Formats: sequence, C-alpha cells, structure tokens
Amino acid sequence: MLLKTETYNQQSNFAQYCRDGKDLAILGAKQERLPHYRRLIFNVVKDAMETTFPISFKYIETEIWDEMVYNFFSWHKCSEPQVWRMPEEFFEFCKSQNYAEKYNLPFLFDLLYFEWLEVELYMMEDIQYPKFKKTENWLTEKIAVNPEHKIVKLEYPVHLEKPFDAANKKGDYFLLIYREKESGRVQFANLSVLFTFLVENIVLCEQTLEEIFNDILYIFGINDLEMLQTEAFTLLRDLQARGFVLGVK
Amino acid sequence: MTIKTGIGFRKDFAEEFLSGSVLKPGFVELAPENWMNIGGFWKKKLNQLAEMYPIISHGLSLSIGSPEELDMNFLKNVKNFLKEYNIEIYSEHLSFSKCDNAHLYDLLPIPFREDAVKHVAQRIKQVQDYLGQQIAIENVSYYTPVAAEMDEATFVSQIAEEADCKLLLDVNNVYVNAFNHNYDAKTFINNLPLERVAYIHMAGHTKVAPDLIIDSHGEAIIDPVYELFEWTLEKIKPVPVLLERDFNIPELDELQGELNNLKKIMKNKWGTKKPLRTSPNRRNKKETYN
Repeated sequence: MLLKTETYNQQSNFAQYCRDGKDLAILGAKQERLPHYRRLIFNVVKDAMETTFPISFKYIETEIWDEMVYNFFSWHKCSEPQVWRMPEEFFEFCKSQNYAEKYNLPFLFDLLYFEWLEVELYMMEDIQYPKFKKTENWLTEKIAVNPEHKIVKLEYPVHLEKPFDAANKKGDYFLLIYREKESGRVQFANLSVLFTFLVENIVLCEQTLEEIFNDILYIFGINDLEMLQTEAFTLLRDLQARGFVLGVK
Repeated sequence: MTIKTGIGFRKDFAEEFLSGSVLKPGFVELAPENWMNIGGFWKKKLNQLAEMYPIISHGLSLSIGSPEELDMNFLKNVKNFLKEYNIEIYSEHLSFSKCDNAHLYDLLPIPFREDAVKHVAQRIKQVQDYLGQQIAIENVSYYTPVAAEMDEATFVSQIAEEADCKLLLDVNNVYVNAFNHNYDAKTFINNLPLERVAYIHMAGHTKVAPDLIIDSHGEAIIDPVYELFEWTLEKIKPVPVLLERDFNIPELDELQGELNNLKKIMKNKWGTKKPLRTSPNRRNKKETYN
C-alpha cells in the first residue's frame, strides 16, 4: 500500500471521532471545528432513519429513539454505500442489540421490518412480469402473479394497528406486500395461515389451483371443498383487482 | 452559441423538473448511488428525465481517498449506470467518506501528504482503467486540515497530474476554503492545472461563525462567489456549469434566476467559444441545451 501507516492512522482517528466523538489525536486539526463533521454526518443518519421509519419515529419515545439512532451511528460500521439502503442496517443493528427487550418495545423489530420492507419494495429493481392471459377458468390453470412482492410473517400486527396496541396481540400474522406496476405504490394484504399457504404455493410451485386446493384439504383437514373454493376465489379476485393476481399462465 | 448550465435533479421538485414549466436547465446532474439499481416509480421518473435532458453524474460514495481497497462491486454498478444512461462525465469528490470499512456519508478531507497523493492517484487510475474513461475530481470544502504536510492546491494538482484525470472546479468550495483557512482564492485557482477543468460547480453556503463557512448548498450564490466565478472563466475553456442547491429550496423561478445569472456571465466571458459536450440522453437524441 502506498499510504503510510501514519497517514492511515490519521484518517482512521478522524473517522472514528466522527462516529463516536471520542478524542483521538488528529494532527493539525482545528479542534473547535471537528464537531461540525459529527453534526453533519449524524444529521444524514438521523434524517435517513426518520424518513424510512416514520411510524417508529412517531410512536417511540423520543429519548429512546434518539439513543437507538445515536448508538447505531456511533457503534455500527455501515457497509452500504447507498444511503437509502442504510436503514436496513439499523434494523439489523437493533436486533443485534436486543433493543425490543431493553426498551420494552416488543413490536420493535416487526415495525422496523415492516417499514423497511415498504421502502425496499418501493425502490427495488424492476422484475420482469410473467406472460399471462385473462380467464375465468382458474381452477385448472396455473395462476400468474405480480413478481414484485414478498410474503412475511410478523409476531405483532403492526400493519393493522398502532404499535402499542399491536404490542398486546402477539401471534402469527402473515403479510403479502407488493408493488403496483403502474403507480409504483406499495400495498399490503393481511392473510390467514391457510391463504398464506395458498398464495405461497401459487408463487412457488408449478401447481394448478385445483392441485393446491387438494393439498390444502389434506394438510388443513378441511372437508368442505366448495366453501374453500368460494373463499379462495373471493380472495384471488380481490387480489386481482388490487394488481397482485395477474391472470393465468 | 450554446452555453450549458445545469442543476441537480432532486426528488423534492421532480414533477416541476419533468414538466419543464419553470426550470429549463441545459443538463441535469445526479448522484449514481441515489439512482442506480432501483426500479418502480423513481426508475420511471429517471427514464423520463433521461429523455428530456443530458445527464452528468457526480458521485458521493466512491470514497476515492479511503485507505482501504476500492469497492469494485460498487464501481461495477456505477459503470453499468453510466452505460445505461450514456453518461459521459463521472465526477467524484477528492475526499474520503469511508474508513475502516464504515461509510460516513459525508466528505472528509484527505491528509495533504505525499504518500496520500500517490495512494489516491493510483486509485483514480484504477477507477479510470476500470471505467475506460477519465473521471473528474472535485476540490472539496473542508473545515479543518488533517495531518497536512502540503497546501491544498499542491495536493489537488499533484493528484490530477499523476492520475491524469480531469478536475471538477467547485468555485464556491474555493471561496469557502479560502475564507475558512485564510488563503487567497485567486492564488489557489491559479495554482491548479486549469487545462484539466472539465466541469464547474457553483453554490451557496452558510456562515455559522465569524471565522467559519459551511458548504451547505442551502442558500443563494453570493456576489463574491459570482465575482470569483467570473474571474475564473477567463482562465479556462468553456465547460458545463452546475448550480448546486440541496436544502432550503426556494421557489423554482429563483433557481432559474440563478441559472440565468450564471449563463449571462458565461456568455459574457466565453463568447462564442464552443463548450465541452455534456452527455446526450440515451433514447432521444434531440438536444435541449439551454
């Protein structure tokens, strides 16, 4: 390396100071001006968090929020060169620090994850849509869906209720989150366990709807195929109207 | 005669930008890291933008002054982005924003030292070899020197010569640094290899203490910076000039007014000299220079 150790140390000390504010020897520096760098850098991080996690920022006590963000800024080495992706590292950092327990915010990880997913889906690269055709005869066909989506499981219904209300309702919540093709808006749908199985199999497997229904009858111990079909078609038509179900392959 | 003045594309006023109703820049500048590897709504807007204006790119996260190895994956993404939008000018800051593998998302001054000159020049050459084109490096504003062993102009000049790269001359940064570090702005500019200037930035700044100006991009350009700009133009060939405004965004006609001011000075100083080409857009070859 052409850079001498001494020069590297100066850069390293300066960068470290910017993150944690601890005095390290920085040759020739104007001490009274160093805090401006800390302030400017911290503002970038703080703004990114408030923009990405507006619900968390709104509902979590300011003192706690500030402490979490400040600790992230000070302790975490951000690896992401694109600022808009940096908040994902905040979410991972909060998990690693077990802040949900420390600050008695049981919904914390789910809420940060939910908010991050919205940004990630909104910004992510376009995925090519499958070829599909419109038909009313879904049963014996393979359903084509919007590929720009994720299906996730949450422990707290932060997508349905205010965070502190959701905190009392621990359970299994399944969420389909997807990006509308034309508007680019991110939408979500709350799914039951059974319909999560249905949607996941539509997405993941090369099965016809009829085959998936047969699996559901077996796995979930359901006898009433007609009712299953009626409810499933209602869901799928709703998801079609909302731009998730496209048609059949 | 075509004199090219541009402005940074900001999401804050993307719609007005794309409508072309008030702002009428000759080109737009954007940071690749804010726009590459994206899709959806903003990708569509970017594509619309590329149909309307030539694009110049100005990076934020390459961290050319970092002690560690270059992030080649990041650079690969930049290269793809430049190719996708047929962008000819890629500039970066002569600073570091990453150290010990931690991004800081701001521009820190590199120690003005001989070994740093060689280190940074080698990295610029590596970038240029990889991209297959010269890049332009920008003189950054800084508020404190760090372990300096030479003056800033020598540092910038030696790197530019050794790396054989272009310069992005930020006139406001020269003014800010001259004020903050008590040197003469014109002497500084005279000591740069001005034949390498490929692009100019102009901006406003904020005085936060009697002896300190922050390069905020949050105010209008002040008269002394216009005067330094006017003086500088006599010394260099015509190049594109960008108005930077990132915060405290005023009414757009005020920004257009600043663009007009710059254009007027450029016409006055550069007359009929032909400017360097800015990048054409990728789909529509109709040029909309102003």
